[in-house]
Amino acid sequence: MALASPSTGSLRGLGVPPDRVRRIAAALGLPEGELPAGDGRVVALLGDAEAAADPAHWARPFAAWIEAGPLDDDAVAAQVARAAQADLYACLTTATANQLHLAGRIVHAIDSHRPLAESQRDDIELVLHEAISNAVVHGNLQVEGMKGLSVDALDRFSAALAARMADPAFAARRVEVSCWLKPEGELLVEVADEGSGFVPQNRGEAGADASGRGLDLITAIARQVELLDNGRRIRIRFAL
Amino acid sequence: MDYGIDVKEQEAVVQLKGRLTFNDHAKLRALIREMLQNKAKRQVLDLGALEFVDSAGIGMLLIAREEMANVDKQLVLRAATGQVKRVLTVAQLNKIVAIED
Repeated sequence: MALASPSTGSLRGLGVPPDRVRRIAAALGLPEGELPAGDGRVVALLGDAEAAADPAHWARPFAAWIEAGPLDDDAVAAQVARAAQADLYACLTTATANQLHLAGRIVHAIDSHRPLAESQRDDIELVLHEAISNAVVHGNLQVEGMKGLSVDALDRFSAALAARMADPAFAARRVEVSCWLKPEGELLVEVADEGSGFVPQNRGEAGADASGRGLDLITAIARQVELLDNGRRIRIRFAL
Repeated sequence: MDYGIDVKEQEAVVQLKGRLTFNDHAKLRALIREMLQNKAKRQVLDLGALEFVDSAGIGMLLIAREEMANVDKQLVLRAATGQVKRVLTVAQLNKIVAIED
């Protein structure tokens, strides 16, 4: 069984049976159910996307979101312990991350912990969305980008995306987002997927393909970008 | 993303609303078909009510531009604001597509 520290916070179930939340909380030695006073943080255990639709669940005191649904109790407990390593942490299936617009949710949460200017919110949402989209589409679903600029490329992309999203072997793979709000005015974000990784390649003539602009947008907007774990993890730094 | 088309003699104006992301591939496909079918030479996408666009959305707009060019029509992007304007600028789309305020 994974260990939890007092800074992990309390557990709150959203669409997860109360006895299951109680069992996992007891195994980790964490309080459960009640919202904490003061600076306490709450780790949400999610049943599915619908149970986490309320924006209030993506703001203080909530600091971590773990989709418990298909995992066994030990795996959920390990995730809860892992969540304590970051200021904000989300670990969701590919299908749920896509359905919830996860990037927008995370930005909403960051804004509730450290208020952002509108232009910062837009930039961070775009960069997070591009990183999460890459993890979802190319990482976990292993769908290739749109080559060329024809509607045929769009049709192929549509068909491949729909097929993979409907296949639990791909759609249940996880996207993990971790955020650290550094006191020196920096936001550090990591987005990781469970795909087969990739080697970034120099693209040919700009504008020749409909896909392939995401990483360029991230690089243009963020302060620093690193690809880790053979391309399965991206680490992005922003000035706040 | 949702859209509505107003076809006039000289130009067709398409109002895009909401978010344009990689999830909107089917909508974009339908829109391109409608733009190919109407008679107007100028196909204007009014982005004033579009709240968010991503890199795949940009890619799909470039597919629309290419498909219009193939049948001698012009695609124009108009009235982008906020996040959408920012992305068009960062992606340097003005080098490839006609953009109007």
